[in-house]
Amino acid sequence: MASLLQPDRVLYLVHGEKKIRSPLSTLYFCRYCSELRSLECVSHEVDSHYCPSCLENMPSAEAKLKKNRCANCFDCPCCMHTLSTRATNIPAPLPDDPSKTTMKKAYYLACGFCRWTSRDVGMADKSVASGGWQEPDNPHTQRINKLIEYYQQLAQREKLERDRKKLARRRPYMPLAFSEKYGLGTRLQRQRPGAPITSLAGLSLKEGEDQKEINIEPAQALDEVEPLPEDCYTRPINLPEVTSLRQRLLQPDFQPAGASQLHPKHKHLLIKRSLRCRKCEHNLSKPEFNPTSIKFKIQLVAECQVLLTLTNPVENITHVTLVGCEEGDPEDINSTAKVMVPTKELVLAGKDAAADYDELAEPQDFQDDPDVVAFRKSNKIGFFIKVVPQREEDGDVTVSFKIRHDFRNLAAPIRPSEEGDAPTEAIWLTHHVELSLGPIIA
Amino acid sequence: MQSANIAAGAVVCVESEIRGDVTIGPRTVVHPKARIIAEAGPIIIGEGNLIEEQALIINSYPENIMPDTEGVEPKTMTIGINNVFEVGCVSQALKIGDNNVIESKADLGKNVILTSGCIVGACCQVNTCEVIPENTVIYGSNCMRRVQTERPQPQTLQLDFLMKILPNYHHMKKTVKGTSTPVRN
Repeated sequence: MASLLQPDRVLYLVHGEKKIRSPLSTLYFCRYCSELRSLECVSHEVDSHYCPSCLENMPSAEAKLKKNRCANCFDCPCCMHTLSTRATNIPAPLPDDPSKTTMKKAYYLACGFCRWTSRDVGMADKSVASGGWQEPDNPHTQRINKLIEYYQQLAQREKLERDRKKLARRRPYMPLAFSEKYGLGTRLQRQRPGAPITSLAGLSLKEGEDQKEINIEPAQALDEVEPLPEDCYTRPINLPEVTSLRQRLLQPDFQPAGASQLHPKHKHLLIKRSLRCRKCEHNLSKPEFNPTSIKFKIQLVAECQVLLTLTNPVENITHVTLVGCEEGDPEDINSTAKVMVPTKELVLAGKDAAADYDELAEPQDFQDDPDVVAFRKSNKIGFFIKVVPQREEDGDVTVSFKIRHDFRNLAAPIRPSEEGDAPTEAIWLTHHVELSLGPIIA
Repeated sequence: MQSANIAAGAVVCVESEIRGDVTIGPRTVVHPKARIIAEAGPIIIGEGNLIEEQALIINSYPENIMPDTEGVEPKTMTIGINNVFEVGCVSQALKIGDNNVIESKADLGKNVILTSGCIVGACCQVNTCEVIPENTVIYGSNCMRRVQTERPQPQTLQLDFLMKILPNYHHMKKTVKGTSTPVRN
């Protein structure tokens, strides 16, 4: 099946803001707009946070507080693998009788991949298995917090002034308090492409509260810089001790130059995202809340709705017409060969899961022209096309054509129809398909 | 072909392939399907080593020398004590010290010399011409290196367990003293 093993052979054209050609397995199908959607024409939203190693869910507010890091798991500062806790028995003196020693458990962190241990940086073994490990404090935390507070206040003041100007010009149809409370979540606020980032303002104090005047001291420029050590150029480098750029930048607080100062950091959280069609605002993909579950609550993948290369995924009989691309078709830019598709309409039987087991079922009687149809099996069909390569040189032969098929929207809302129960109407969808047939063999 | 000199106390399974002049020290365990091939010279393996399945320890001729060339002296391959050769590794290094761990599918070339306490990570190919300093860890797809502060512990628990269990399920090769049953702890 081309969709699983060679995904790039058959490309479908998606009409979005940009024309994107991609295989069907990476596309979604919005059944409210009846159009294909690719990852670039949907909006991505954060659904939930979870830790990749302990699979613990974390509510978004807590994640923001902990800077999107897990509380229990650590990353190796050397190779970024997950650290595991190991225990050793060490003799420790009894609190009652200092002369006798008893075996106590001591825990240390170790990496299974690069064999880094917490003892390498001088972190003492802890007596509790989890929760005893602390990240070292950033010496500049206080100054940074003060700066953040000051700028939050400034941002809020500027926002108030801006809103006051807007109020003076025209009456907003949305009250001010409403827009502040919901921030960037509403459609109107999101679709303003030029809007500045007002996330800082969202965190600031509410109107009407006493605002403390926060003054900050400007940073002082120093004339004297600490001189380099004298043997800077002559001292031989201990290469294992030098940290790589990646190791250094993963700890932006300290950026240690020596490997003996690399402390482990808490593990970064991952997110589950949900996809939303930008035109009709319906959800295309919504994952489960539980981090251990890989299923989806809503998953409108194109493979389940749109016809694959002649395998019919839906359960009704589908009629397919193939139309070659005309000369001068603006979407036909990649084809290097002319293709002659069968002009007749092809009929595909519906997908029937029980057909494999039902031996008494009558074979469906479709009259197939043997020149056109090569074989037919349940909901699949094989047909012939003629390809005339246009270019002489060695290259990939790519053909493009349009598939036109009927689609019944099973999820359409039930409209009260006056005629009783009319069957769901079929709409005709046209997709532009590009098929890569492989290189020309001389 | 000379048979292998297996010291008493070593556990060498019959399904392992040992060719050439190979000496195996006591308390060494050689799993089935391990291959120790001494083509271009003898191999001397110390005690307390653990050689797992499909490991290949081969003392082969250098590439541009044919086996029939005269004047080529046989070089001895020496392997120290307490080393671990994990599943599927290939070692052609002529000198290996003590307490090293060669992880699965690692590949050691002919010109490498391992000292003590080194760990060659899984799937790492080391075919440079150098002496690896002590306590070095080679890991990652780019064979990054770092020095660790502790050397890997000798696998005494594992060795004891295997020396009890393996004879229950496999036949053993005969040891030097002529007894066909291995010495049990």
